[in-house]
Amino acid sequence: MSLIQIKDLNKHFNVLNRREGLGGAFLDLFSGDYNIVRAVDGVSFDIEAGEMIGYIGPNGAGKSTTIKMMTGILKPSSGAILVNGFPPHANRIRQAQIMGVVFGQRTQLWWDLPVIESFKILKDIYRVDQKTFDDHMGLFNELVGLKQLYKQQVRTLSLGQRMLCDITASFLHNPQVVFLDEPTIGLDISVKAKMRTVIKELNQTRNTTIILTTHDLGDVEALCRRIIIIDKGKVLFDGDVKKVNALFGAYRTLKVQVNDFDESTLKALAGQMIQHFGTNNGISISEVEKHWTDITIDQARTPLADVLSFVMTNFPVHDVRIVEISMENVVQKVYDGALS
Amino acid sequence: MKKYFAIIRGAFMVGMVYRLGFIFTILGNLVYLGVAYYLWTSIYETTNVMRGLTFNEAFLYIALGSAVFILLKTYSDWWISREIIDGNIIIDLIKPIDYQLMTLFTNLGFVLTNLIAITIPTALMLVLVFNVTIPYGAGTLLFPFSLIMAFVISYCFDYFTGLLAFYTESTWGLSITKDTIILVFSGALVPLQFFPEGMQKVLMVLPFQTMYHTPLMLFTRPDQPWEALAGMLLVQCGWALGLILLTRLFYLQAIKVLRISGG
Amino acid sequence: MHRITRYLRLYFLIEAQYIKARMQYRADFIISSIGMFFSSLATLGIFWILFGSITELAGWNFMEMVFIYAFYMIAISPMQIIFDHFWQLRYHVTEGTFLKYYFRPLNMMFYYISEMFDLKGLTQLAAGIVLLVYASIQLNIQWTIARVMLLLASLFSASLVQIAVVVSASCAAFWVMNSWPVLSLAWKLREFSPYPMSIFDGAFRVLFTYVIPIGFVAFYPSQIFLRPEQVSPLAYASPLVGIGLFALAYRIWTLGVNSYTGTGS
Repeated sequence: MSLIQIKDLNKHFNVLNRREGLGGAFLDLFSGDYNIVRAVDGVSFDIEAGEMIGYIGPNGAGKSTTIKMMTGILKPSSGAILVNGFPPHANRIRQAQIMGVVFGQRTQLWWDLPVIESFKILKDIYRVDQKTFDDHMGLFNELVGLKQLYKQQVRTLSLGQRMLCDITASFLHNPQVVFLDEPTIGLDISVKAKMRTVIKELNQTRNTTIILTTHDLGDVEALCRRIIIIDKGKVLFDGDVKKVNALFGAYRTLKVQVNDFDESTLKALAGQMIQHFGTNNGISISEVEKHWTDITIDQARTPLADVLSFVMTNFPVHDVRIVEISMENVVQKVYDGALS
Repeated sequence: MKKYFAIIRGAFMVGMVYRLGFIFTILGNLVYLGVAYYLWTSIYETTNVMRGLTFNEAFLYIALGSAVFILLKTYSDWWISREIIDGNIIIDLIKPIDYQLMTLFTNLGFVLTNLIAITIPTALMLVLVFNVTIPYGAGTLLFPFSLIMAFVISYCFDYFTGLLAFYTESTWGLSITKDTIILVFSGALVPLQFFPEGMQKVLMVLPFQTMYHTPLMLFTRPDQPWEALAGMLLVQCGWALGLILLTRLFYLQAIKVLRISGG
Repeated sequence: MHRITRYLRLYFLIEAQYIKARMQYRADFIISSIGMFFSSLATLGIFWILFGSITELAGWNFMEMVFIYAFYMIAISPMQIIFDHFWQLRYHVTEGTFLKYYFRPLNMMFYYISEMFDLKGLTQLAAGIVLLVYASIQLNIQWTIARVMLLLASLFSASLVQIAVVVSASCAAFWVMNSWPVLSLAWKLREFSPYPMSIFDGAFRVLFTYVIPIGFVAFYPSQIFLRPEQVSPLAYASPLVGIGLFALAYRIWTLGVNSYTGTGS
């Protein structure tokens, strides 16, 4: 039996269309006209014990709503969700015992207490025996040198230190599944790498199932074997992360700022690109903000350097930036059939 | 002057967003007026005049006091101390604006909101629901001016309490202590005439009475001789000026903490 | 039973650490205790001034008012000391930090309140106890074991009334964007609970007895000790009112917790 089973899961919210003015606010108290928002719309997937899943999608895609249903905060509108054989919402306390959760920048430790005291309280809350506790703390001390933080108040920790402590805490009671929501957001590269090492180590040594939601495709690439992409409440892709990587790892976006830019420039740019690189060139062009033109390039087909030199020689370029493909672009590509 | 007008307008707009707040505050005030009405009816059960005040005068004093209280309650001590503790005060300090005047005018914006949304409805309730007789006289004309002076004085206390955040983060205790002292010793909760003689003498030389007792007496006893009226206003103006000067000096002193520690 | 001892043990563990941590801010403790002391005695001060001109208020003399007031101060202390975190519920709800309370294998209300222990409230409790002892000596109240037990039971149920009012008002945050006015109104009403309910008539007595029953925070239960020979039946209803109101408030909390979806999507 899979650890997490989700079948035709739906979560719909009624959102009130607010009326204007004082009288309107008063009328809204009694009746209102509602819009139905399908935050999660017919999602199905199974997750096996020990898997590490990247659960990604743009803002408002329905990621958090799914996570909230898996953790038992929200009750599904319809469909089935079982974690370890039970619907999470039915018995929150029992389910909380087998889960660990880390929510981005918001710590779940006691703000005023020294780090070690937070852990001791958690030990009692989750009824962890002394030996397991010592082993766990020992392991984390080995991995990230946690001991030097023991006496510090949580409020005085840096963001990176706090995230490490929160992750340590979420694994303390040996949960079967851990939800990590944006665990590396705002961290610098060296701390990020440390974080990834720790997560990988725990997944491997303890066979803990980990569900990772993130905006950072680098996290997914480094940690997960399977990726689920969700948008507008529906699963767009569920499969091997390699397949996604092969595609998007090669994509880069070239942002150029052209002097005296207008409609005709955009057309000229597109036309000349096709002339120069052929029709199947893996290049798409769009103007996303004023004066900046995005040229998304599949490096497997056309090298970025070629496009750059072509643009530089043929157009009065004022400024240039190169960025990795964004989550929104990935989702757009999937819609365009890149993974089918 | 134009920039200060913009500040008043901004604060006014912010205040108007909290309509639900006004409804509840008016509701709360209606209950308070009711409680005060019953309390003072009980107090005047056996006599018509007490400490030189009739029931109508005493109740008008207390009820109007609650309206003035809401008018002056802008929580500026809370947000000034918040700004100092969070360090956001730096942003205000680099603006080409005097900090005391800026906070004063922001406050004035809130006061205007309170006046329109809460104080005026409360005053109407007073006349319509509780059937209070409103006396008229020279004092009635001086009342608005006296109210403005009361606002300036009340603001100075808030400003001073807010600035104490430069020295301690324990602002809850300071604000609540200040609020309590003002409420009890200014006449906001009980007319000063009811205090023991000795205490009255002390209270009359302290600044607290100028925030409530002075405007409330102008309104409930508008027909006093003009020397008495003028005397009350003069004392009020004196305190307003003195406290503005004192808080300005205190600000110059307190701001040094920022310069030394870097905030 | 096992569950109760487990929660008690956890509570002491958490609070001991919390108090230890807060003790670093000694100046804050002293300043806020002073503030607490003055503000909680303000209304009594007003009564004292008023009694300079009257001898009785609706048939109650000053020392009896002190007793009622002391009862009130003790009865509101558990709210202040143990349930203080409810003042901040609205911030947690609007900023999304409330989510974390769902993730522990604990009763959510327990977990929520355990995060804060208001030391300055102890000042209020201590002042209330001193005043109660003083007033009962002055009034020559005869204490027997049974009456002391009755007093403790009355204080317990009265504190439940106060807790229920604040918890219910705080829970408005789950449904209303800016819920401060609701809480502020509840706070304001609380200040009327040491007033003799007999000064009110009509709508106000109904309001304070049946709608927002703050009369049960101090006035009705303290009658049992002040005027045992002429107690109104309402005084004996107070334990029921306390437990019933708390159950209702807990139900509102549960509904709020279940309807909360967190900010963002």
